[in-house]
Amino acid sequence: MPINLPEFLKRRMLMPVIFIILFSMSFVTGSLSDLFSGYVEILRSPSVLISDYLRIGGFSATMFNVSTILLINILMLSRLKMKMSGPMFAGIFTIAGFSFFGKNIFNTIPIYIGIYLYARMQKLEFRSFMIVVLFSTGISPIVSFLIFGGPWPLYVGIPLGTLVGILTGFVLPALAAHTTRFHKGYNLYNIGFAMGILSMFYSAILTAFRIDFMVGGPTSEAFHSELQLLTLLMSLTFIAAAFIIDGRVLKNYLPLTRSTGRLVSDFIRDYGRAPTMLNVGIMGLMSLLVLFILNIEINGPVMGGILTVMGFGAFGKHPKNAAPVMLGALVGALLSPAYSLDEVGMAIAILFVTAVSPIAGRYGFFVGVFAGFLHIIITPLTYLFQGGFDLYNNGFAAGFVAALMIPFLEALKKDEIEEA
Amino acid sequence: MNKREIRIVTMIVRELTLFFMMHGHKSVRMETFHEENATVFSVTVKQLDAQLIDKIRKKIDRDRDMEIETYGWELVGDIDSKSELEILGHLIDEMHVKSDAGKTHLTFVRKNRYKERKTPRF
Repeated sequence: MPINLPEFLKRRMLMPVIFIILFSMSFVTGSLSDLFSGYVEILRSPSVLISDYLRIGGFSATMFNVSTILLINILMLSRLKMKMSGPMFAGIFTIAGFSFFGKNIFNTIPIYIGIYLYARMQKLEFRSFMIVVLFSTGISPIVSFLIFGGPWPLYVGIPLGTLVGILTGFVLPALAAHTTRFHKGYNLYNIGFAMGILSMFYSAILTAFRIDFMVGGPTSEAFHSELQLLTLLMSLTFIAAAFIIDGRVLKNYLPLTRSTGRLVSDFIRDYGRAPTMLNVGIMGLMSLLVLFILNIEINGPVMGGILTVMGFGAFGKHPKNAAPVMLGALVGALLSPAYSLDEVGMAIAILFVTAVSPIAGRYGFFVGVFAGFLHIIITPLTYLFQGGFDLYNNGFAAGFVAALMIPFLEALKKDEIEEA
Repeated sequence: MNKREIRIVTMIVRELTLFFMMHGHKSVRMETFHEENATVFSVTVKQLDAQLIDKIRKKIDRDRDMEIETYGWELVGDIDSKSELEILGHLIDEMHVKSDAGKTHLTFVRKNRYKERKTPRF
């Protein structure tokens, strides 16, 4: 039976293709014994920000971690008969990205169980909470830390970490729905903000009991070229697929770039698959270009940032609303004598600042630049505030930036109201 | 109807009111009917032009999306501009439009997709 190429490419937005690329890389880049021992190290890592799995487990083990997490989530979506919407696509890419520095199969499952129990209690289908499910694992380091990082034996750590993970998943759906109102949908990493609040309480409890949890470590830039090539390959694949599916995709792409990107913007639903795939590819190339200009080498966290930016190319980000906030972040990093782009937190914030892209989308270029500036100077403080259990620290920071700016901007903005 | 559903319904009322008032309508008549299987919102405003009806239809008359509903429903009723109705589109199943005597009647149907919690018997 002949393969219908456009239909094959459209189905599940190339996810199986991406999985095959990543999974193959885990086996061709190292020996099986290196892969196995590295993967065990990843699973045993406390995983608190910033734990670069490329340093902890090596390249092949990290790719194995990324691809298996990707596979499990793709299979879960298939099993639940979920359509590949913008939020789902963004969620899957974000999970893949953060599997480079904090997520693994071990620390994500208890959180999923917690959300499942919440859905049961609410008498709702588990699949209704799939957006929260996919983004929930940003707080998975609390599970790993309590099991492997605390000053207690494993027989205490395993039940404690699992129970806290389940409780975290249980409270997250209600909290995540509520926090959207705090920033009025102008923080794309809303769940990161909700998890930042939880993380803040976890770190407060651990601090009160004098338990040291600042256990993150250095990053590894040894695989910069491989990751650069991988990003380039994925971006070009998305762009090529977009043109194969729809030869006139450029014409259909322009309306997408006029969207504010405010939550909940599902680009696949609103503009179709081909324009969204083109946008995903362009966002990938844009991330590479920014890193190249700033001479930032790709490590685990930076790769996480690239994949997240690409994923949100289906859920609120496009070059027109992302460029101003990235520029603002860059200005902030260059002007500040306290911070430098050599610090990994600052480097990844240049990518994750795009959480506040909807501010530029709605209020324009210069307001977007200012939002980016505010974001990058608050990010180091929110990290200290939340303690590192929330991998989406930039989502936590972006929530404050949007909450500060939006009420004031709304008061200033004049919408023309014509009498009907 | 449970408390959460009541909150969603009132937020839909707020969003529709906000939308039409932002489009300059001084008179917006709205009724809600809660039936066993659905909640119906009936809106009557001064005759809408075909372009605006198309715009509303494009944003609302699409498949309901439960994942976005559970995640983004608290943003409903908080639109910032005249063109935002996307989230509402994720919460409404059907839309019907009828025009007569200088008025436009819009009907929005939200089907009951949640299982009602039964009151425990003691």
